[in-house]
Amino acid sequence: MTIFRLGEQTPPPPRRITDTVVERLEHQYEVDPDLMQITPQQDMPVWDSRRIFNARWDHLDWMHAHFADEVLLAGEESETMEEHP
Amino acid sequence: MSPVAFKSAVDDHVVEELRAIIGDDARVRPDQSSRAFRSRVPAPFPVHRWAEHYPDVVILPKTAIEVSEVVKLANRHKIPIVPRAGGTGLSDGAVPLRGGIMIDCKLMNQIHEIDLVDRTVTVGPGINMLKLNEELKQHGVIYPDDPASYPCSLVGGRIGTGGWSLLGARYGHTRDLVISMEVVLPTGEIVEIAEGGGRKLRKSSTGLTLKQLFTGHQGTLGITTQATLELVPRPEVEFAAFFAFDEYIKAWETTGILTKSGLATIAGVVLFDEKKIEYLRRDDEAYIPQPDTVNAVVAVAMYGRRCEVEPASKEIMRLGKSNTGKYLGDEISAGDWASRHDRYATPLHGRDLDGQAVLMSWHCEDAALNYSVLPQVREEWHAIVARYRERYGIFDDWGMFAYTSGAHKPWADYLVEIDVGIWEQKLNDEYWAAWVDCKREIAQVSLKYGGSITACHGATREGDADLVPEEMGSAWPVVKAIKRALDPNNVMNPGKQSLDEAYE
Amino acid sequence: MGDQELEFAERWRDNAYGCFSSGHKFCREVCPVMQVTRNENHTPTAFHASIVAMEKGLLNVEDVADDFVHCTQCGACELRCPNTLMTGDFYRHRTRTVDVVKAMRALMVETGNEQEAWKLWNERLALDHNEPVLGDTRVSQEHVADWAIGLDIPVGGQTLLFVDCEAAFFRTSYTRAFAQLLQKAGVEFGLMREQWCCGGPAAEMGYQDLALKHATHNVEDWRAVGATRIIAPDPHDFIAFTEDYPKYFGEAYDFEIVLGVELINDLVKGGRIELTQPVERTVTYHDPCRLNKRKGVHEAPRELIRAIPGITFKDVDRVTQWSYCSGGGGGLPVAKPEITKEISRRRVAKAAELEVDTLISACPWSERPLSEAGHEANLGVMDLFELVAVSAGIEP
Ligand SMILES: Cc1cc2nc3c(=O)[nH]c(=O)nc-3n(C[C@H](O)[C@H](O)[C@H](O)COP(=O)(O)OP(=O)(O)OC[C@H]3O[C@@H](n4cnc5c(N)ncnc54)[C@H](O)[C@@H]3O)c2cc1C
Ligand code: SF4
Repeated sequence: MTIFRLGEQTPPPPRRITDTVVERLEHQYEVDPDLMQITPQQDMPVWDSRRIFNARWDHLDWMHAHFADEVLLAGEESETMEEHP
Repeated sequence: MSPVAFKSAVDDHVVEELRAIIGDDARVRPDQSSRAFRSRVPAPFPVHRWAEHYPDVVILPKTAIEVSEVVKLANRHKIPIVPRAGGTGLSDGAVPLRGGIMIDCKLMNQIHEIDLVDRTVTVGPGINMLKLNEELKQHGVIYPDDPASYPCSLVGGRIGTGGWSLLGARYGHTRDLVISMEVVLPTGEIVEIAEGGGRKLRKSSTGLTLKQLFTGHQGTLGITTQATLELVPRPEVEFAAFFAFDEYIKAWETTGILTKSGLATIAGVVLFDEKKIEYLRRDDEAYIPQPDTVNAVVAVAMYGRRCEVEPASKEIMRLGKSNTGKYLGDEISAGDWASRHDRYATPLHGRDLDGQAVLMSWHCEDAALNYSVLPQVREEWHAIVARYRERYGIFDDWGMFAYTSGAHKPWADYLVEIDVGIWEQKLNDEYWAAWVDCKREIAQVSLKYGGSITACHGATREGDADLVPEEMGSAWPVVKAIKRALDPNNVMNPGKQSLDEAYE
Repeated sequence: MGDQELEFAERWRDNAYGCFSSGHKFCREVCPVMQVTRNENHTPTAFHASIVAMEKGLLNVEDVADDFVHCTQCGACELRCPNTLMTGDFYRHRTRTVDVVKAMRALMVETGNEQEAWKLWNERLALDHNEPVLGDTRVSQEHVADWAIGLDIPVGGQTLLFVDCEAAFFRTSYTRAFAQLLQKAGVEFGLMREQWCCGGPAAEMGYQDLALKHATHNVEDWRAVGATRIIAPDPHDFIAFTEDYPKYFGEAYDFEIVLGVELINDLVKGGRIELTQPVERTVTYHDPCRLNKRKGVHEAPRELIRAIPGITFKDVDRVTQWSYCSGGGGGLPVAKPEITKEISRRRVAKAAELEVDTLISACPWSERPLSEAGHEANLGVMDLFELVAVSAGIEP
């Protein structure tokens, strides 16, 4: 069960990923806020970020199922991320 | 006759006549908001000159008879007609250039017949493919026209543009998937258009093959009011694999290797160039963490029976890696393929000259090109966009894709697109003129290399449209004769594709 | 063009350009209203474009007032929009169509472009402090807890149960079932001293002052009895308490808000409510828009249904249901009842195709239109709590 508390809706401070990308919530990249000087960012509570993230993956799964009964995978590891974990 | 055959003449009297034909005032809309909202499509739009593109009145017909009566009236009064389906076209086909009556066919979205014996589905032009396939799923069949606009474009617009499908290498594109249709001609007659006769026949040699003429004309030859479409067995499996390369040329070569492999279940191969990868690193979670040795990507997707696709997938893995390609992994391969419809037009992809994220409109300049010329065209296109970006600061190069484009013959033809971001809020007459020049320069490169200025979106936008006569060359008089014969008063979507020349 | 319109355009312009510069209409076919009217004026694309048009002096509020009534605020469009779904979290900049619709409706009220039906509705709210859900029969504070007669629920306490107007006066079976489930699990809770409407619907129809007034009253009432936790079984209230109230009251808003369906699911999973009575029904589940689309809540109700013995559950996944709706939200049934009716008719027809005997929902606002459509299609419509209560052996 999730209990909504307003005080918990501000994301933690960012961790840098690349020159232009940061991460605040696990597995969720975000633009470096410095790049958003012309287009202001919104006050986005944690629950909303998470909602979007989860919906994205549900949507992608749905799209697979929409076009075929089953997804066949090569079953091989990424060869690019190996050298750059 | 003057090329601008007439000025719009929709007055109260005409609106009354339209109301009498339709018999439901809610479906005859001369109000401001109905007109404003139907004057643009997703392509970059001269927002500072918005009102010039308003239709005078919008009609939401439900039947071919209604369409026919409205067209007859327009033809009688010489009023422009602009057909509109989803309004997702990327070359302004559904944007009025001279006001007039807009025929918005979204209410014609019925499924009239599903024929599982002769494998067809007959629909109205206002239906969307995703919605159609939701209904077809229970019957084990699919209508496989899969543009990136799959969730939003409609069958009428697919026919109007002669659209291109991501799965075209396996299943064909719109024109290969439409078997026959009912069309209202510019003079108002309702006709059945097929290969020959026979509403459900895929091939005939009787008379002239009219079907192709009525796909891809951008609403300049008539309005499709019903279409009979192909049904193919719903795929048992889907397989996608993405391979990374440190340079474009190796990726290009691998594209050639894959498309010439003779594997019939290949539905599409996509080549991402270096600029495209650079751009994806801005905000795409799949590319952000990739090492800088990832500079170009080749994606391949297959659909079909497991007994075909499974062994073929092994061969794809072998070929994809045969020329230094590195597999990007299962998660990216499956996930990125599933996001193929959604990744294009996010305006925050845009960056100004300082690297700030700004809301930009997406322009997809597409061309049909042969495999052999892709590397040269790529260099010249990027150089053009770089020049305009540097000079005006409101453009942004979003990289290039090349997609297999021959139906069932993926080896030689490519839909090649350069995606350009445009900061619409900054547009003024000067910038807009620069933009039109930029597009024209890009299109000229396509012609120089023996290509066509558009593979799917249509040559209906300013810039490209001027080049249609040049591209059509010796066939241009034939095109003009056909247009004039079918549309004596130039009422059907006038001003598009340089077809005004037919009346000079 | 009035100052208010320009100010409004200024306020929403960035978000509007986010859409205007895309204009790709991925939102169109998931929109429940659009599926019925197929009129491009009713698309989010048009809603956002109208802001740009106002900025350019091409349209004014009057021109678009009727268009903006065509929305249930289900949230499908803004979730499906690639600018939300693909990059909204990345840029912390997502499409905000629901907010825009609410703001435009507020502007309609401010500029005298009100909808007659909404005006009357909110006048009665102002008078009685609950929504006029009983038609000509007036609602009143005197009867706001009639649903609880015989259940012996105290007033006040640390944990309060907030009961929605529709659920307090109209679909009382839902509320009773929910309260009895809590009692069965031994959860201690009380009721408010004076429970006004949450104010959410007023805000949805553009009556912001009225919404704030009701919210303020409720929060004062909560504080007065020392409540720290509010249970909201109704998804609409849950949205008001987790999205509107924080905007009204800022950091001082320190209540814990618990969603009813998640709470009951926890109680069942934790063994505090035992589902022992088999329910021999073949059911499907309607994802209430404000749970599934607006809040991403879709697992708890499904878990609960699966926990009921004897039931045959023919589920339709949550993503397919982004394009489903009952038509009951956002004031649509008040202003355009014929569209609500058609939306719910189609929703029920989808359920009927699955050859089920019961459509289960988890939102009282959806249950009125769905029940009416179900009646015509000979399909039962039940609330999830009602069903769980049956399985828990609770006598209504
Ligand atoms: C995100 C995105 C991705 C896209 N990806 C692709 C892609 O992969 N492949 C592709 O081909 N296109 C793509 N497009 C472009 C667009 O979706 C296609 O051109 C599509 O075919 C247009 O369909 P529509 O229903 O929106 O038509 P509209 O834009 O309404 O109309 C297109 C043209 O057809 C004419 N027309 C409309 N209805 C009729 C009718 N009933 N009879 C005759 N003519 C008619 C119009 O006058 C106009 O000239 C994409 C667009 C977007 C926004
Ligand atoms: S709301 Fe989103 S999906 Fe709809 S047109 Fe606008 S940007 Fe596209």
